[in-house]
Amino acid sequence: MHDEIRQLRKRILEVSHLGHDGNLQSCFSSVEILYALYHGGMNWDVEKSLSPGRDYFLLSKGQSSLALSVVLESLGLFRPEEVNGFCKFGSRFSMQLDRTKFPEGGIENSAGSLGHGFPMAVGMANACRIKGTGNRIYVLAGDGEMNEGTMWEACAFAGGHGMDNLTLIIDDNDSIGRMLDLSPLRGKLEAFGFTVFEADGHDVKSLLSVLKLCRDVTGSPQAIIAHTTRGYGSRTLMSDNAWFHRSPDPEELGLLKKEVDAFEKGND
Amino acid sequence: MRRAMIKSVSDMIRDEGDTSLFLVDIGVWAFRDILRDYPDRAMNIGIFEDGMVSLAAGMALGGIIPTVYGISPFIVERALEQLKLDFAYQKLQGNFITTGASYDFSTLGYSHYCPEDLGVISMIPGFEFIAPGTASEFSRLFEQTHRDGHPTYCRLSDHVNKAGREVGFGKAAVVQTGSRATVIAVSTMLDMVLEAYAGEDVSILYYTTLMPFDRKTLREHYNGGRIFLYEPHYEGTLAHEIYKTFPDRPVQLSCVGVKREILRNYGSKEQNDAYSGMLPEVN
Repeated sequence: MHDEIRQLRKRILEVSHLGHDGNLQSCFSSVEILYALYHGGMNWDVEKSLSPGRDYFLLSKGQSSLALSVVLESLGLFRPEEVNGFCKFGSRFSMQLDRTKFPEGGIENSAGSLGHGFPMAVGMANACRIKGTGNRIYVLAGDGEMNEGTMWEACAFAGGHGMDNLTLIIDDNDSIGRMLDLSPLRGKLEAFGFTVFEADGHDVKSLLSVLKLCRDVTGSPQAIIAHTTRGYGSRTLMSDNAWFHRSPDPEELGLLKKEVDAFEKGND
Repeated sequence: MRRAMIKSVSDMIRDEGDTSLFLVDIGVWAFRDILRDYPDRAMNIGIFEDGMVSLAAGMALGGIIPTVYGISPFIVERALEQLKLDFAYQKLQGNFITTGASYDFSTLGYSHYCPEDLGVISMIPGFEFIAPGTASEFSRLFEQTHRDGHPTYCRLSDHVNKAGREVGFGKAAVVQTGSRATVIAVSTMLDMVLEAYAGEDVSILYYTTLMPFDRKTLREHYNGGRIFLYEPHYEGTLAHEIYKTFPDRPVQLSCVGVKREILRNYGSKEQNDAYSGMLPEVN
Protein backbone atom coordinates (compact mmCIF):
# COMPACT_ATOMS: atom_id res chain seq x y z
CA MET A 1 0.00 0.00 0.00
CA HIS A 2 1.17 3.46 -0.93
CA ASP A 3 2.56 5.18 2.19
CA GLU A 4 0.40 8.29 1.72
CA ILE A 5 -2.67 6.09 1.60
CA ARG A 6 -1.55 4.22 4.69
CA GLN A 7 -1.30 7.59 6.45
CA LEU A 8 -4.80 8.50 5.30
CA ARG A 9 -6.22 5.32 6.78
CA LYS A 10 -4.45 5.90 10.09
CA ARG A 11 -5.70 9.47 10.15
CA ILE A 12 -9.27 8.21 9.59
CA LEU A 13 -8.83 5.95 12.60
CA GLU A 14 -7.51 8.80 14.75
CA VAL A 15 -10.32 11.19 13.86
CA SER A 16 -12.92 8.48 14.36
CA HIS A 17 -11.42 7.80 17.77
CA LEU A 18 -11.53 11.49 18.69
CA GLY A 19 -15.16 11.86 17.56
CA HIS A 20 -16.33 8.56 19.05
CA ASP A 21 -18.05 7.62 15.82
CA GLY A 22 -17.25 6.36 12.38
CA ASN A 23 -18.24 4.31 9.35
CA LEU A 24 -14.77 2.84 9.13
CA GLN A 25 -15.48 -0.04 6.79
CA SER A 26 -17.03 2.31 4.23
CA CYS A 27 -14.26 4.86 4.59
CA PHE A 28 -11.51 2.28 4.19
CA SER A 29 -13.31 0.87 1.18
CA SER A 30 -13.13 4.14 -0.73
CA VAL A 31 -9.77 5.64 0.24
CA GLU A 32 -7.95 4.76 -3.00
CA ILE A 33 -10.88 5.96 -5.12
CA LEU A 34 -10.87 9.36 -3.41
CA TYR A 35 -7.09 9.55 -3.51
CA ALA A 36 -7.06 8.82 -7.25
CA LEU A 37 -9.70 11.46 -7.98
CA TYR A 38 -7.81 14.17 -6.10
CA HIS A 39 -4.39 13.12 -7.42
CA GLY A 40 -4.85 13.50 -11.14
CA GLY A 41 -8.11 11.69 -11.70
CA MET A 42 -10.03 14.89 -12.23
CA ASN A 43 -9.40 18.56 -12.88
CA TRP A 44 -9.29 19.88 -9.34
CA ASP A 45 -6.70 21.99 -7.57
CA VAL A 46 -6.72 22.82 -3.88
CA GLU A 47 -5.56 26.34 -4.72
CA LYS A 48 -8.59 26.75 -7.00
CA SER A 49 -11.21 24.85 -5.05
CA LEU A 50 -13.90 27.34 -6.07
CA SER A 51 -12.77 27.80 -9.66
CA PRO A 52 -15.75 27.79 -12.05
CA GLY A 53 -13.71 25.62 -14.40
CA ARG A 54 -13.09 22.83 -11.91
CA ASP A 55 -14.47 19.34 -12.16
CA TYR A 56 -17.00 18.56 -9.45
CA PHE A 57 -16.93 15.60 -7.12
CA LEU A 58 -20.13 14.65 -5.32
CA LEU A 59 -20.23 12.07 -2.58
CA SER A 60 -23.42 10.06 -2.86
CA LYS A 61 -22.43 7.35 -0.37
CA GLY A 62 -22.22 9.71 2.57
CA GLN A 63 -20.70 7.07 4.84
CA SER A 64 -17.35 7.91 3.27
CA SER A 65 -17.55 11.53 4.43
CA LEU A 66 -14.73 11.10 6.93
CA ALA A 67 -12.48 9.65 4.23
CA LEU A 68 -13.24 12.63 2.00
CA SER A 69 -12.55 15.06 4.86
CA VAL A 70 -9.20 13.44 5.54
CA VAL A 71 -8.19 13.37 1.87
CA LEU A 72 -8.99 17.09 1.55
CA GLU A 73 -7.18 17.77 4.83
CA SER A 74 -4.10 16.03 3.44
CA LEU A 75 -4.23 18.40 0.46
CA GLY A 76 -4.27 21.39 2.80
CA LEU A 77 -7.88 22.45 2.31
CA PHE A 78 -8.88 21.77 5.91
CA ARG A 79 -6.88 22.38 9.10
CA PRO A 80 -6.17 19.24 11.16
CA GLU A 81 -7.13 21.00 14.40
CA GLU A 82 -10.56 21.61 12.96
CA VAL A 83 -10.98 18.11 11.55
CA ASN A 84 -10.12 16.83 15.03
CA GLY A 85 -13.43 18.34 16.16
CA PHE A 86 -15.17 15.57 14.21
CA CYS A 87 -18.72 15.00 15.51
CA LYS A 88 -18.37 17.60 18.30
CA PHE A 89 -21.25 20.04 18.79
CA GLY A 90 -20.86 22.94 16.39
CA SER A 91 -18.13 21.28 14.32
CA ARG A 92 -18.08 21.49 10.56
CA PHE A 93 -16.95 17.88 10.41
CA SER A 94 -19.13 14.91 11.19
CA MET A 95 -20.33 11.57 9.89
CA GLN A 96 -22.13 13.26 7.00
CA LEU A 97 -21.13 16.66 5.66
CA ASP A 98 -23.18 19.83 5.20
CA ARG A 99 -21.97 21.74 2.13
CA THR A 100 -23.29 25.05 3.47
CA LYS A 101 -20.54 24.94 6.12
CA PHE A 102 -17.73 24.89 3.56
CA PRO A 103 -17.45 28.23 1.79
CA GLU A 104 -13.89 27.34 0.82
CA GLY A 105 -15.22 24.52 -1.37
CA GLY A 106 -14.28 20.87 -1.42
CA ILE A 107 -17.66 19.68 -0.23
CA GLU A 108 -19.94 20.03 -3.23
CA ASN A 109 -23.07 18.41 -1.81
CA SER A 110 -24.66 17.62 1.52
CA ALA A 111 -24.82 13.90 2.02
CA GLY A 112 -26.61 11.59 4.39
CA SER A 113 -29.57 9.97 2.74
CA LEU A 114 -28.65 7.44 0.07
CA GLY A 115 -30.01 7.92 -3.41
CA HIS A 116 -29.63 11.71 -3.53
CA GLY A 117 -26.05 12.50 -4.51
CA PHE A 118 -26.06 10.69 -7.83
CA PRO A 119 -29.31 12.25 -9.12
CA MET A 120 -27.91 15.63 -8.07
CA ALA A 121 -24.73 14.88 -9.97
CA VAL A 122 -26.83 14.15 -13.03
CA GLY A 123 -28.55 17.51 -12.58
CA MET A 124 -25.19 19.25 -12.27
CA ALA A 125 -23.95 17.54 -15.40
CA ASN A 126 -27.09 18.69 -17.19
CA ALA A 127 -26.58 22.26 -15.96
CA CYS A 128 -22.99 22.22 -17.25
CA ARG A 129 -24.17 20.95 -20.61
CA ILE A 130 -26.77 23.72 -20.81
CA LYS A 131 -24.17 26.34 -19.96
CA GLY A 132 -21.73 24.82 -22.41
CA THR A 133 -18.95 24.71 -19.86
CA GLY A 134 -16.44 21.90 -19.94
CA ASN A 135 -16.79 20.78 -16.35
CA ARG A 136 -16.97 17.08 -15.69
CA ILE A 137 -18.98 15.64 -12.81
CA TYR A 138 -17.72 12.70 -10.77
CA VAL A 139 -19.85 10.99 -8.19
CA LEU A 140 -19.10 8.15 -5.79
CA ALA A 141 -21.93 5.79 -4.92
CA GLY A 142 -22.03 2.57 -2.99
CA ASP A 143 -23.12 -0.68 -4.58
CA GLY A 144 -25.71 -1.04 -1.83
CA GLU A 145 -26.97 2.42 -2.72
CA MET A 146 -27.90 1.05 -6.13
CA ASN A 147 -30.92 -0.48 -4.38
CA GLU A 148 -32.43 3.00 -4.29
CA GLY A 149 -34.95 3.64 -7.05
CA THR A 150 -33.74 7.20 -7.54
CA MET A 151 -30.35 5.85 -8.67
CA TRP A 152 -31.96 4.10 -11.60
CA GLU A 153 -34.21 7.07 -12.36
CA ALA A 154 -31.05 9.14 -12.62
CA CYS A 155 -29.35 6.44 -14.71
CA ALA A 156 -32.29 6.50 -17.12
CA PHE A 157 -32.03 10.27 -17.49
CA ALA A 158 -28.26 10.35 -17.84
CA GLY A 159 -28.18 7.47 -20.30
CA GLY A 160 -31.20 8.73 -22.23
CA HIS A 161 -29.56 12.11 -22.69
CA GLY A 162 -26.08 10.75 -23.44
CA MET A 163 -24.45 12.77 -20.66
CA ASP A 164 -20.80 12.17 -21.43
CA ASN A 165 -19.60 14.73 -18.87
CA LEU A 166 -20.71 12.42 -16.05
CA THR A 167 -18.78 9.59 -14.41
CA LEU A 168 -20.44 7.40 -11.81
CA ILE A 169 -17.99 5.47 -9.66
CA ILE A 170 -19.47 2.59 -7.73
CA ASP A 171 -17.57 1.52 -4.64
CA ASP A 172 -18.51 -2.11 -5.12
CA ASN A 173 -17.64 -3.65 -1.77
CA ASP A 174 -20.37 -6.27 -2.01
CA SER A 175 -22.74 -4.56 0.34
CA ILE A 176 -25.44 -5.42 -2.14
CA GLY A 177 -24.81 -9.14 -1.75
CA ARG A 178 -26.39 -9.16 1.68
CA MET A 179 -29.58 -7.41 0.60
CA LEU A 180 -31.48 -7.06 -2.68
CA ASP A 181 -28.70 -8.40 -4.84
CA LEU A 182 -28.64 -6.43 -8.08
CA SER A 183 -25.31 -7.85 -9.15
CA PRO A 184 -23.96 -8.01 -11.69
CA LEU A 185 -24.30 -4.27 -12.15
CA ARG A 186 -22.42 -4.05 -15.42
CA GLY A 187 -25.16 -5.31 -17.72
CA LYS A 188 -27.79 -3.22 -16.00
CA LEU A 189 -25.76 -0.04 -16.34
CA GLU A 190 -25.03 -0.81 -19.99
CA ALA A 191 -28.73 -1.33 -20.57
CA PHE A 192 -29.28 2.18 -19.21
CA GLY A 193 -26.83 3.61 -21.74
CA PHE A 194 -23.61 3.75 -19.73
CA THR A 195 -20.16 2.91 -20.98
CA VAL A 196 -18.92 0.70 -18.18
CA PHE A 197 -15.39 0.13 -16.95
CA GLU A 198 -14.19 -2.05 -14.13
CA ALA A 199 -11.17 -1.48 -11.94
CA ASP A 200 -9.42 -2.70 -8.85
CA GLY A 201 -10.76 -0.12 -6.43
CA HIS A 202 -7.71 -0.43 -4.22
CA ASP A 203 -5.21 0.13 -7.02
CA VAL A 204 -4.63 3.81 -7.69
CA LYS A 205 -2.93 3.15 -11.04
CA SER A 206 -5.85 1.03 -12.22
CA LEU A 207 -8.30 3.73 -11.14
CA LEU A 208 -6.35 6.53 -12.82
CA SER A 209 -6.19 4.48 -15.97
CA VAL A 210 -9.98 4.02 -16.23
CA LEU A 211 -10.62 7.63 -15.19
CA LYS A 212 -8.52 8.63 -18.19
CA LEU A 213 -10.50 6.31 -20.44
CA CYS A 214 -13.72 7.89 -19.17
CA ARG A 215 -12.60 11.33 -20.32
CA ASP A 216 -12.33 10.04 -23.88
CA VAL A 217 -15.86 8.64 -24.01
CA THR A 218 -18.32 10.64 -26.08
CA GLY A 219 -22.07 10.32 -26.26
CA SER A 220 -22.65 8.35 -23.09
CA PRO A 221 -22.18 8.65 -19.35
CA GLN A 222 -19.57 6.37 -17.86
CA ALA A 223 -19.65 4.06 -14.89
CA ILE A 224 -16.63 2.64 -13.14
CA ILE A 225 -17.35 -0.43 -11.09
CA ALA A 226 -14.53 -0.26 -8.58
CA HIS A 227 -14.09 -3.63 -6.92
CA THR A 228 -13.32 -3.02 -3.28
CA THR A 229 -13.39 -4.68 0.10
CA ARG A 230 -15.12 -3.24 3.14
CA GLY A 231 -12.56 -2.21 5.70
CA TYR A 232 -9.67 -2.78 3.27
CA GLY A 233 -6.34 -2.09 4.91
CA SER A 234 -7.07 -3.61 8.31
CA ARG A 235 -7.59 -7.30 8.91
CA THR A 236 -9.98 -6.59 11.77
CA LEU A 237 -12.12 -4.15 9.83
CA MET A 238 -12.24 -6.51 6.88
CA SER A 239 -13.37 -9.46 8.94
CA ASP A 240 -15.78 -7.95 11.46
CA ASN A 241 -18.86 -6.11 10.21
CA ALA A 242 -19.41 -4.56 13.63
CA TRP A 243 -16.96 -1.96 12.33
CA PHE A 244 -19.50 -0.69 9.84
CA HIS A 245 -20.56 1.80 12.50
CA ARG A 246 -18.31 2.19 15.49
CA SER A 247 -15.11 3.95 16.55
CA PRO A 248 -11.96 2.55 18.14
CA ASP A 249 -11.18 2.98 21.84
CA PRO A 250 -7.55 3.85 22.71
CA GLU A 251 -6.43 0.25 22.77
CA GLU A 252 -8.19 -0.61 19.51
CA LEU A 253 -6.78 2.52 17.89
CA GLY A 254 -3.25 1.30 18.50
CA LEU A 255 -4.07 -2.20 17.26
CA LEU A 256 -5.80 -1.00 14.11
CA LYS A 257 -3.02 1.42 13.23
CA LYS A 258 -0.52 -1.41 13.55
CA GLU A 259 -2.67 -3.50 11.22
CA VAL A 260 -2.67 -0.68 8.68
CA ASP A 261 1.09 -0.40 8.94
CA ALA A 262 1.50 -4.13 8.44
CA PHE A 263 -1.06 -4.48 5.67
CA GLU A 264 0.21 -5.40 2.25
CA LYS A 265 -1.75 -6.03 -0.90
CA GLY A 266 -2.32 -9.72 -1.23
CA ASN A 267 -3.14 -10.43 2.39
CA ASP A 268 -6.71 -9.28 1.79
CA MET B 1 -54.46 31.27 -13.05
CA ARG B 2 -52.94 28.38 -14.97
CA ARG B 3 -52.73 30.53 -18.11
CA ALA B 4 -50.93 33.24 -16.16
CA MET B 5 -48.51 30.64 -14.83
CA ILE B 6 -47.79 29.35 -18.33
CA LYS B 7 -47.14 32.88 -19.56
CA SER B 8 -44.89 33.84 -16.63
CA VAL B 9 -42.86 30.65 -16.78
CA SER B 10 -42.58 30.79 -20.56
CA ASP B 11 -41.39 34.40 -20.40
CA MET B 12 -38.84 33.38 -17.78
CA ILE B 13 -37.44 30.63 -20.01
CA ARG B 14 -37.28 32.99 -23.00
CA ASP B 15 -35.72 35.91 -21.15
CA GLU B 16 -33.50 34.32 -18.51
CA GLY B 17 -30.91 31.94 -19.87
CA ASP B 18 -30.05 30.51 -16.46
CA THR B 19 -33.52 29.11 -15.80
CA SER B 20 -35.10 25.77 -16.58
CA LEU B 21 -38.45 24.02 -16.51
CA PHE B 22 -39.26 20.41 -15.74
CA LEU B 23 -42.78 19.19 -16.48
CA VAL B 24 -43.92 15.96 -14.89
CA ASP B 25 -45.93 15.02 -17.97
CA ILE B 26 -48.57 17.67 -17.35
CA GLY B 27 -48.99 21.00 -19.13
CA VAL B 28 -47.14 19.58 -22.12
CA TRP B 29 -49.55 20.98 -24.70
CA ALA B 30 -49.77 24.35 -22.99
CA PHE B 31 -45.98 24.67 -22.88
CA ARG B 32 -45.47 23.19 -26.38
CA ASP B 33 -43.78 26.29 -27.83
CA ILE B 34 -41.25 26.53 -25.02
CA LEU B 35 -40.57 22.79 -25.11
CA ARG B 36 -39.92 23.07 -28.85
CA ASP B 37 -37.82 26.23 -28.77
CA TYR B 38 -35.72 25.56 -25.65
CA PRO B 39 -35.37 21.78 -25.49
CA ASP B 40 -32.27 21.91 -23.30
CA ARG B 41 -33.85 24.06 -20.61
CA ALA B 42 -37.52 23.10 -20.86
CA MET B 43 -38.43 19.47 -20.93
CA ASN B 44 -41.16 17.00 -20.13
CA ILE B 45 -38.74 15.16 -17.95
CA GLY B 46 -40.77 12.05 -17.23
CA ILE B 47 -42.68 10.65 -14.30
CA PHE B 48 -40.15 10.18 -11.50
CA GLU B 49 -40.77 12.98 -9.05
CA ASP B 50 -38.32 11.99 -6.33
CA GLY B 51 -35.28 11.50 -8.54
CA MET B 52 -36.34 14.47 -10.62
CA VAL B 53 -36.34 16.82 -7.62
CA SER B 54 -32.80 15.72 -6.76
CA LEU B 55 -31.87 16.29 -10.36
CA ALA B 56 -33.39 19.78 -10.15
CA ALA B 57 -31.25 20.43 -7.07
CA GLY B 58 -28.20 19.42 -9.07
CA MET B 59 -29.24 21.94 -11.71
CA ALA B 60 -29.36 24.60 -9.01
CA LEU B 61 -25.91 23.54 -7.77
CA GLY B 62 -24.73 23.91 -11.35
CA GLY B 63 -26.09 27.46 -11.65
CA ILE B 64 -29.36 26.82 -13.50
CA ILE B 65 -32.51 27.82 -11.56
CA PRO B 66 -35.02 24.97 -11.76
CA THR B 67 -38.78 25.36 -11.92
CA VAL B 68 -40.86 22.20 -11.58
CA TYR B 69 -44.53 21.90 -12.47
CA GLY B 70 -46.49 18.90 -11.23
CA ILE B 71 -49.55 17.70 -9.35
CA SER B 72 -49.47 18.66 -5.66
CA PRO B 73 -49.21 15.36 -3.76
CA PHE B 74 -46.64 13.89 -6.12
CA ILE B 75 -44.32 16.81 -5.50
CA VAL B 76 -45.08 17.46 -1.84
CA GLU B 77 -45.14 13.93 -0.57
CA ARG B 78 -43.42 11.64 -3.02
CA ALA B 79 -40.46 14.01 -3.21
CA LEU B 80 -40.63 15.34 0.34
CA GLU B 81 -37.19 14.09 1.36
CA GLN B 82 -35.69 15.66 -1.76
CA LEU B 83 -37.37 19.00 -1.02
CA LYS B 84 -36.05 18.84 2.52
CA LEU B 85 -32.51 17.58 1.99
CA ASP B 86 -31.62 18.63 -1.52
CA PHE B 87 -33.18 22.09 -1.51
CA ALA B 88 -33.80 23.37 2.03
CA TYR B 89 -30.78 21.75 3.70
CA GLN B 90 -28.49 22.85 0.91
CA LYS B 91 -30.11 26.33 0.72
CA LEU B 92 -30.80 26.09 -2.99
CA GLN B 93 -33.15 28.08 -5.20
CA GLY B 94 -35.96 26.11 -6.78
CA ASN B 95 -39.56 26.78 -7.75
CA PHE B 96 -42.22 24.11 -7.28
CA ILE B 97 -45.51 25.04 -8.88
CA THR B 98 -48.28 22.59 -8.26
CA THR B 99 -51.76 22.14 -9.59
CA GLY B 100 -54.59 20.39 -7.81
CA ALA B 101 -54.71 22.39 -4.57
CA SER B 102 -56.75 20.56 -1.92
CA TYR B 103 -59.11 18.69 -4.24
CA ASP B 104 -59.39 20.51 -7.53
CA PHE B 105 -59.13 17.06 -9.13
CA SER B 106 -62.09 16.03 -7.01
CA THR B 107 -63.17 13.09 -9.16
CA LEU B 108 -59.71 11.52 -9.17
CA GLY B 109 -59.88 10.70 -5.50
CA TYR B 110 -57.64 11.04 -2.48
CA SER B 111 -54.45 10.10 -4.33
CA HIS B 112 -54.72 13.42 -6.18
CA TYR B 113 -55.77 15.56 -3.20
CA CYS B 114 -53.34 17.59 -1.14
CA PRO B 115 -55.05 19.61 1.61
CA GLU B 116 -51.94 18.91 3.70
CA ASP B 117 -49.50 20.70 1.40
CA LEU B 118 -48.99 23.75 3.61
CA GLY B 119 -48.82 21.63 6.75
CA VAL B 120 -46.13 19.43 5.23
CA ILE B 121 -44.07 22.18 3.62
CA SER B 122 -44.29 24.32 6.76
CA MET B 123 -42.26 21.64 8.53
CA ILE B 124 -39.30 22.49 6.27
CA PRO B 125 -37.62 25.65 7.58
CA GLY B 126 -36.40 27.93 4.82
CA PHE B 127 -39.11 27.08 2.31
CA GLU B 128 -41.32 29.84 0.99
CA PHE B 129 -44.99 29.11 0.31
CA ILE B 130 -47.14 31.27 -1.92
CA ALA B 131 -50.82 30.73 -2.65
CA PRO B 132 -52.08 33.35 -5.10
CA GLY B 133 -55.83 33.87 -5.29
CA THR B 134 -55.93 35.17 -8.86
CA ALA B 135 -53.92 35.11 -12.08
CA SER B 136 -52.51 38.60 -11.60
CA GLU B 137 -51.45 37.72 -8.08
CA PHE B 138 -49.61 34.66 -9.38
CA SER B 139 -47.72 36.77 -11.90
CA ARG B 140 -46.66 39.27 -9.27
CA LEU B 141 -45.65 36.70 -6.64
CA PHE B 142 -43.77 34.52 -9.12
CA GLU B 143 -41.92 37.53 -10.44
CA GLN B 144 -40.86 38.40 -6.89
CA THR B 145 -39.81 34.92 -5.81
CA HIS B 146 -38.59 32.89 -8.76
CA ARG B 147 -34.96 33.92 -8.34
CA ASP B 148 -34.84 35.15 -4.76
CA GLY B 149 -32.39 32.46 -3.63
CA HIS B 150 -34.86 30.30 -1.72
CA PRO B 151 -36.89 27.20 -2.48
CA THR B 152 -40.46 28.30 -3.12
CA TYR B 153 -43.63 26.25 -3.26
CA CYS B 154 -46.52 27.74 -5.23
CA ARG B 155 -50.02 26.42 -4.78
CA LEU B 156 -52.19 26.97 -7.87
CA SER B 157 -55.93 26.48 -7.86
CA ASP B 158 -58.47 26.39 -10.67
CA HIS B 159 -60.97 28.15 -8.39
CA VAL B 160 -59.92 31.77 -8.10
CA ASN B 161 -61.22 34.99 -6.61
CA LYS B 162 -63.07 37.42 -8.88
CA ALA B 163 -60.73 40.37 -8.46
CA GLY B 164 -56.99 40.47 -8.02
CA ARG B 165 -55.50 42.47 -5.17
CA GLU B 166 -52.29 44.42 -4.86
CA VAL B 167 -50.30 41.70 -3.18
CA GLY B 168 -46.59 41.49 -2.52
CA PHE B 169 -44.43 38.62 -1.38
CA GLY B 170 -44.29 38.32 2.39
CA LYS B 171 -46.99 40.89 2.98
CA ALA B 172 -50.66 40.45 3.85
CA ALA B 173 -53.14 42.83 2.21
CA VAL B 174 -55.53 44.80 4.41
CA VAL B 175 -58.91 44.51 2.72
CA GLN B 176 -60.88 46.42 5.34
CA THR B 177 -60.61 47.45 8.95
CA GLY B 178 -63.27 47.03 11.62
CA SER B 179 -63.66 46.68 15.35
CA ARG B 180 -65.59 43.48 16.19
CA ALA B 181 -63.33 40.72 14.92
CA THR B 182 -60.35 39.99 12.71
CA VAL B 183 -60.92 37.76 9.73
CA ILE B 184 -58.03 36.13 7.91
CA ALA B 185 -58.80 35.03 4.37
CA VAL B 186 -56.18 32.78 2.82
CA SER B 187 -55.79 32.76 -0.96
CA THR B 188 -58.88 31.51 -2.80
CA MET B 189 -61.06 31.88 0.30
CA LEU B 190 -61.29 35.65 -0.08
CA ASP B 191 -64.47 35.85 -2.17
CA MET B 192 -66.35 33.61 0.22
CA VAL B 193 -65.14 35.67 3.17
CA LEU B 194 -66.17 38.93 1.52
CA GLU B 195 -69.62 37.55 0.84
CA ALA B 196 -70.05 36.11 4.33
CA TYR B 197 -68.94 39.28 6.10
CA ALA B 198 -70.53 41.86 3.78
CA GLY B 199 -71.52 44.89 5.85
CA GLU B 200 -69.94 43.55 9.03
CA ASP B 201 -67.71 45.69 11.25
CA VAL B 202 -64.68 43.40 11.03
CA SER B 203 -61.12 43.67 9.84
CA ILE B 204 -60.32 41.47 6.86
CA LEU B 205 -56.72 40.53 6.10
CA TYR B 206 -55.81 38.68 2.92
CA TYR B 207 -52.84 36.30 2.87
CA THR B 208 -51.19 34.97 -0.28
CA THR B 209 -47.74 34.41 1.23
CA LEU B 210 -48.07 31.73 3.88
CA MET B 211 -44.36 31.10 4.52
CA PRO B 212 -43.00 33.32 5.88
CA PHE B 213 -46.24 34.36 7.55
CA ASP B 214 -46.70 38.12 7.92
CA ARG B 215 -47.18 38.39 11.68
CA LYS B 216 -46.54 42.13 11.65
CA THR B 217 -49.64 43.03 9.64
CA LEU B 218 -51.78 40.78 11.80
CA ARG B 219 -50.41 42.35 14.97
CA GLU B 220 -50.95 45.86 13.67
CA HIS B 221 -54.53 45.22 12.59
CA TYR B 222 -55.72 42.98 15.36
CA ASN B 223 -58.62 44.69 17.04
CA GLY B 224 -58.81 42.61 20.20
CA GLY B 225 -61.79 40.52 19.17
CA ARG B 226 -62.04 36.97 17.99
CA ILE B 227 -59.89 35.83 15.07
CA PHE B 228 -61.54 33.86 12.29
CA LEU B 229 -59.14 31.94 10.04
CA TYR B 230 -60.39 30.76 6.65
CA GLU B 231 -58.02 28.40 4.85
CA PRO B 232 -58.41 26.47 1.57
CA HIS B 233 -56.35 23.58 2.96
CA TYR B 234 -56.66 21.55 6.19
CA GLU B 235 -58.35 23.71 8.80
CA GLY B 236 -56.13 25.29 11.41
CA THR B 237 -52.86 24.78 9.53
CA LEU B 238 -51.86 28.38 10.21
CA ALA B 239 -53.03 28.33 13.84
CA HIS B 240 -49.45 27.99 15.06
CA GLU B 241 -48.54 31.21 13.24
CA ILE B 242 -51.52 33.03 14.73
CA TYR B 243 -50.58 32.01 18.25
CA LYS B 244 -46.93 32.87 17.68
CA THR B 245 -48.06 36.33 16.58
CA PHE B 246 -49.40 37.02 20.06
CA PRO B 247 -46.94 35.57 22.56
CA ASP B 248 -48.06 38.03 25.23
CA ARG B 249 -51.82 37.65 25.15
CA PRO B 250 -54.49 34.99 24.76
CA VAL B 251 -56.45 35.02 21.51
CA GLN B 252 -59.67 33.32 20.61
CA LEU B 253 -59.30 31.60 17.28
CA SER B 254 -61.91 29.91 15.12
CA CYS B 255 -60.71 27.91 12.12
CA VAL B 256 -62.57 27.10 8.95
CA GLY B 257 -61.01 24.92 6.28
CA VAL B 258 -60.87 21.43 4.89
CA LYS B 259 -61.91 18.74 7.38
CA ARG B 260 -58.92 16.84 8.72
CA GLU B 261 -59.88 13.43 7.45
CA ILE B 262 -59.23 11.12 4.52
CA LEU B 263 -61.58 12.52 1.92
CA ARG B 264 -63.54 9.88 0.02
CA ASN B 265 -66.49 11.67 -1.53
CA TYR B 266 -65.49 12.53 -5.13
CA GLY B 267 -68.11 14.92 -6.58
CA SER B 268 -67.24 18.56 -7.26
CA LYS B 269 -64.86 20.93 -5.56
CA GLU B 270 -67.88 22.92 -4.32
CA GLN B 271 -69.49 19.81 -2.85
CA ASN B 272 -66.27 19.02 -1.01
CA ASP B 273 -66.12 22.59 0.29
CA ALA B 274 -69.67 22.25 1.57
CA TYR B 275 -68.84 18.89 3.17
CA SER B 276 -66.13 20.65 5.18
CA GLY B 277 -68.53 23.39 6.20
CA MET B 278 -66.79 25.97 4.07
CA LEU B 279 -69.83 26.82 1.92
CA PRO B 280 -73.57 26.48 2.10
CA GLU B 281 -74.60 23.00 1.08
CA VAL B 282 -74.67 22.39 -2.67
CA ASN B 283 -77.10 19.96 -4.27
